[in-house]
Amino acid sequence: MAQRRELVKGNAGSLLLCLIEQQPMYGYRIIKELEGRSQGYFKFKEGTLYPALHRLEKAGLIVGKWQTLPSGRPRRYYYITGKGHRLLVVKRSQWQDFLTAMNLIIQPASA
Amino acid sequence: MTTALSHYLNIVRDNLRLDPLSETAVINELETHIEDELQELKEAGLSEEEAANTCVRLLGSAKLVARQIYEAHSQGTWRQALLASMPHLLFGLTFALNWWRGISWLLVMLVLILSTVVYGWWRGKPTWLFPWLGYSLLPVVVAGLLLLYLPRGWSWLAILLYIPLALWLLYSIAVQAIKRDWLYGSLMLFPVPIIIGWFIAVRLEGKFPGFSIERLHDFTLWIGLSFLVLAVAVAAFIRLRKRQLRVAILIISGLLTLTLVAGYAWSQLGLLTFLVLILLMLSIFLIPALLEPKIRHSGQHS
Repeated sequence: MAQRRELVKGNAGSLLLCLIEQQPMYGYRIIKELEGRSQGYFKFKEGTLYPALHRLEKAGLIVGKWQTLPSGRPRRYYYITGKGHRLLVVKRSQWQDFLTAMNLIIQPASA
Repeated sequence: MTTALSHYLNIVRDNLRLDPLSETAVINELETHIEDELQELKEAGLSEEEAANTCVRLLGSAKLVARQIYEAHSQGTWRQALLASMPHLLFGLTFALNWWRGISWLLVMLVLILSTVVYGWWRGKPTWLFPWLGYSLLPVVVAGLLLLYLPRGWSWLAILLYIPLALWLLYSIAVQAIKRDWLYGSLMLFPVPIIIGWFIAVRLEGKFPGFSIERLHDFTLWIGLSFLVLAVAVAAFIRLRKRQLRVAILIISGLLTLTLVAGYAWSQLGLLTFLVLILLMLSIFLIPALLEPKIRHSGQHS
């Protein structure tokens, strides 16, 4: 469990960028999406989501905008920026290389 | 909202130490999160109180959340770092390059300091403002010294009026800084022991403003160097994210600079004065830290 938490912590930025790239979202939705899509594997300590979002925003990778839901309630939606898109392309490529290398080593050798 | 959740948000607010606009935005965002969470938990069958307690547990430590959000916002740009260190640099250069002898340069400095302070105050008191704010009090000190040269009777009357007014001004400015973050109060006041140290070390002969300036020549380079150390420390302060590191850089550089003053002018200062200056430096960090909760809470009640 602790190992998984460390993995999430180390890759929180990339995970959030991926989700926000697919669709602008607000904090609570992000947590639910992350949990749902990873079938419960990725669980954020909810309070720590906001510092992560604010770090990305301060770095210019995402931008937050207040919008009103159809119910009339305001929510802060996050949008990916051009800089965020460019970083995500690099991160995806790094992940692909890493996964390929890991698979080459971790999979049992075929006879 | 239940008491537990209001209490949670109050702890976050007390520990955020951001500018009022950012602080409100963060609290509003957390409130919307809590609203969604509560609704979902209540729909799942939990009572109001159970839902609130679960929500607090899921959010995690309020202090940790506040600290992490502070760290996300705290780092200033290199431009802000330069702007914040500028008054120390200018003050250092004024002595190192002997510009202090020209009244026109001193007037330029005064106008620059006061206009920068007004601009920064108008822009919502960003972090770079606080070192300038400290130097903006120098004209108040000089005005007090000049009062000594009024005719005898007038001098006492003026001083009796001046002291409460000067103290009120210092208190009001310090309270404004501390209300935002006690560390900004310290950032504003931390050159004070260095200035007092050099003032004692130089031991100007005669009475202000006609004292002999010859002795000052022996110290100008070292005075310049000491303010350069402060400028570097302030630039590092602006660039650092972590609060503990920010406190450490100010205390270490303050003590280092006082040691530099004492090292060069030990015969003029002596051990007792050096120790008093160190105590003054430490109290510049301790007193604002102790006052902050009281000032903040009195501000919330009024």
